[in-house]
Amino acid sequence: MKKKRGIFGVVLFIFIFLQLNIVFAEEPKAGAPAKQEATASAQASAAPAHAPKNDAGDTAWMLISTALVMLMTPGLALFYGGMVRRKNVLGTIMQSFIILALISVQWVLWGYTLAFGPDKGGIIGSLAWFGLNGVGTDPNPDYAATIPHQAFMIFQMMFAVITPALITGAFAERVKFSTFIVFTLLWATLVYDPIAHWVWGLSGGKGWLNNLGALDFAGGTVVHISSGISALAAALIIGKRKGYGTESMPPHNVPMVVLGAALLWFGWFGFNAGSALSSGGLAASAFVVTNTACAAAAFTWAVVEWMHRGKPTVLGAVSGAVAGLVAITPAAGFVSPMSSILIGIMGGVVCYFSVSVIKGKLGYDDSLDAFGIHGVGGTLGALATGLFASKLVNPAGNDGLFFGNPSLLVNQVIAVVATAVYAFVVTAILLKVLDATMGLRVSKEDEVTGLDLSQHGESGYNF
Amino acid sequence: MKIDTGDTAWLLFSICLVMLMTPGLGLFYAGMARRKNVLGTIMHSFTLLCVVSLIWIIWGYTIAFGPDKGGVIGSLEWFGLKGVGQEPGRYSSTIPHIGFMLFQGMFAVITPALIAGAFAERIKFSAFLLFAVLWVTFVYSPLAHWVWGGGWIGSVLGALDFAGGTVVHISSGIAGLISAYVIGSRKGHGIQPMPPHNRTLTVTGAALLWFGWFGFNAGSALSSGGIAASALVNTNTSASAATLSWILIEWMHRGKPTIIGAVSGSIAGLVAITPASGYVGPISAIIIGTVAAAFCYAAVMLKPRFGYDDSFDVFAIHAVGGTWGALATGLFASTAVNPAGLDGLFFGNPPLIGIQAIAIVVTYIYVSVYSFIILKIVDLIIGLRVDEESELIGLDYTQHRESGYNIKLG
Repeated sequence: MKKKRGIFGVVLFIFIFLQLNIVFAEEPKAGAPAKQEATASAQASAAPAHAPKNDAGDTAWMLISTALVMLMTPGLALFYGGMVRRKNVLGTIMQSFIILALISVQWVLWGYTLAFGPDKGGIIGSLAWFGLNGVGTDPNPDYAATIPHQAFMIFQMMFAVITPALITGAFAERVKFSTFIVFTLLWATLVYDPIAHWVWGLSGGKGWLNNLGALDFAGGTVVHISSGISALAAALIIGKRKGYGTESMPPHNVPMVVLGAALLWFGWFGFNAGSALSSGGLAASAFVVTNTACAAAAFTWAVVEWMHRGKPTVLGAVSGAVAGLVAITPAAGFVSPMSSILIGIMGGVVCYFSVSVIKGKLGYDDSLDAFGIHGVGGTLGALATGLFASKLVNPAGNDGLFFGNPSLLVNQVIAVVATAVYAFVVTAILLKVLDATMGLRVSKEDEVTGLDLSQHGESGYNF
Repeated sequence: MKIDTGDTAWLLFSICLVMLMTPGLGLFYAGMARRKNVLGTIMHSFTLLCVVSLIWIIWGYTIAFGPDKGGVIGSLEWFGLKGVGQEPGRYSSTIPHIGFMLFQGMFAVITPALIAGAFAERIKFSAFLLFAVLWVTFVYSPLAHWVWGGGWIGSVLGALDFAGGTVVHISSGIAGLISAYVIGSRKGHGIQPMPPHNRTLTVTGAALLWFGWFGFNAGSALSSGGIAASALVNTNTSASAATLSWILIEWMHRGKPTIIGAVSGSIAGLVAITPASGYVGPISAIIIGTVAAAFCYAAVMLKPRFGYDDSFDVFAIHAVGGTWGALATGLFASTAVNPAGLDGLFFGNPPLIGIQAIAIVVTYIYVSVYSFIILKIVDLIIGLRVDEESELIGLDYTQHRESGYNIKLG
C-alpha cells in the first residue's frame, strides 16, 4: 500500500509538473507574435526574394506521413500483442498505446526542444522552444524550407513515440505498469532526445554525429539501434520470464501479429519516404527501396527458415518483413533499388540467425526480439549505408565504400558505437535506479496471473 | 479559382482517412458488445457507410450545402450533384467541388454511426436503417447547413466549429441519449455484467479512429498549409493529454488504469478538440484534452444514477466532450493561430463564449426534438426493438443469420 502511494506520488508529481509547464509556457506566448513580426519584417528588408514559403504538395505529403507513422505505434501494439500469451495481450497493447499519449505530450513540452532546439555544443538542444514556444506554422529553413515548422515537429514526434514502444518487446509479460511509465518518460528525455540531437540536430549548429558526417536517413541509429540496444540492456537486467526455456510460450493470436506487421509496413512508407521532408524524387526513391528491401527480407527469412527448420512460418515471414524495413531505414534516401535488394537479403539472413540461433545460445529473454530485429538489423543497416550510399541517388548524401569512399564507413561505425554505448549505459543506469526505488517486475503471483488482470483489471477476450 | 494539386492531394487523402473512421468505429463498438452481437454492431457502421454515401449524393449534400434558403436550409438545386463538378466550388477555391462534397459526405456517414453505440444490442436492423435515413435527412443535413452551409449559426450568429463539435458530436451524442431513453435498456442491464467481449478489437478500432481523425480535423482546413499542420498537432496533442488524464483519474479513483479507460480518454480528447482544432495553440490543446477526460469520466460514472442504458457511452463521450469542446473554443480561440477565426475569452473577446453557448443550446433542442419524433415514427411503422427472445439469442443470429467467431478459446 505504501509503495502504491509512492507510485501515485510520482505520477501526480509528473502531472502537476506538466500543468506548471503549461502556465509557464503560456506566458511568453503572448509576446511571440510581436517577435515573429519583428523577424518577419527584418527578413523582408534583408532578402524578400528568398523568404521560405510553405509548399502545399510538400506539406500534404508531410501530414500524410505523420498520420502513417502515427499508425505504426498501434500497429506495433498489435504485432507484439499477438505474440504474447493470452493473459498478457492487453498489458502489451497498453504499453504501446500509452507511449503514444505520453511521449506526444512530452515532445510538445520539452522533447522537441531538447532534440531539435538551438544547438548547445553539438550535444543537446537548448530549452528555447520549450512548450513549442516559437514553433509556428512558418517553415524553419534549418530543417525544411517548404513545410510548416509544426509539421516537421509532429512528424519527428511520431519517431520519438515509436522508439520507446519498440523496447517494450524485450521486457513484455513481466514489467510493472507504473515503473514502465516512469522509465519511458526518463528514457525518452535522457536517451532518445540527445541521440536525435546528435544525429539530426541542425538549428544554430549541427549535432556532433551530424557534424562528423555520419548518414542516417530515417533513424537507423536514432530509432533502431537506440531501442534495440536498450532492449538488450532491459532483457539482461529485468531477467527472464518465469518458465522461460522450460515451458513453451507460443503467440496467442498470429493473425493479430500479421495485422500489426501489415500496419507497420504501411506506416513505414511515411517513416522513410516522409523523411525526405518533401514530395518529389527523393521521397519516391526512398519509397521504392523501402518496399523492395522489406519484400526481399521477408522472402529471404522464409526461405532460410524453410531450409534451416523445415517449414516457412507466417511469423517468420512477418519478422523478416520488419527486419528488412529496419535495415533499409538509415539507407532509404541514399541507395538504389538494386542495393536495397542486397540490404534486404542481408537483413533477413542476419536477423534470422540472431533471433533463432544466437539468442538461444546466449540465454537472455528478449521476449519479442526487440534486440534481435532492431538492434541487429539497425546496426546492419547503418553499416550498409556506409557501403551502398551513392551521390547518384542523393547528391546531398555521400558515396559509400562501394562507390569509392571508405571514410563514410568509418563514420558509420563511430555513430553505431557511440549510439550503442550511450544507449546501453544510460538505460542500464535508469533500470537499476528504478529497480531499487519502484521495482521493475510484477510479483511472481501477478506474472502467473498475467498483466491484463494484475495491472489493469481486465481480460482481452470474454467469449 | 484554380485547382492546387497539393491542397487537392491532402483533401483526397483526408477523405480516405475519414472514410476509415467508420469501419474503425464499427470495430471500436463491436469489441465492447457481447459476443452474440459483434456482427450486428459492426453491421450498423458498415451499412451506414453505404446508405449515407448514396443519400448524400442524391439529396443530402444539396440540403446541407446547396444555395442557402433564408439561413435555414439549402435548396434542392444541387439534387443528384447537379452542377457539382471538378471546378472549385463556393466553399474552397483551390480544390474540386466534388472533392469537398465527398469529404463532407464522410462526416455525414460517421455521425449517425456514432449514435448506434447508444442503442446497440437491441435494435431491429430494418428499424435502424429507416431511422438513419430520416435522421441524416432531417437532423444532420439542416444542422450542417446552419453551421457550415451558409446558414444562420455560422453566418449570422458567427459561432465557430472547425470540424464538427456541434454538427457531429453534440448532435450524435444528444440523439444517442434520446434513443437510449426511447428504446429502453437492454434486458438484464444493471443486473448482470456485460463485459466487452473483445477488448483488442476495441483498441484496434480506437487506433483507426485516432488515425482517421487527422483527416477529420486537419482535413477541415481544406488546404495543405499552416492551418492544417496546426490542426493536426492540436488533434494529436489533445487526444494524448486526455488519454493520460483519463487513466490517471481512473487509477486514483478505481485502483487500476484500464485499456478501455485509455481508449475512452483518447476519443474524449479527440471529440473535444474537434471544434477548436483550427483555432487554438498546442498548449491550449493540452488543457482542452486534460479537462475533457475529467468531464467525460464523470459523465460515464454518473450514468448509472440516471438509469438509462446508453450502451457504449455515446452521450458521455460525444455530447459531453463536444459541449466542452465548443465552449473551450469560445475560451481558447486565438486569431494569432488562425486570422480567419475569432479571439476567445482568454484572448480578450468575451462575446464568443456566449455565441458558442447559443449554438450549443440550439443544437441540443433541435436534435432532441427531431430525434424523438423520428424514433416514435419508426417505432410506429416498424417497431424499434427486436423481441425478447431475439435479444437473448443475439443480433448476429436473429438479424443476420451469422456468428462472429467459429472458434473456441480455452
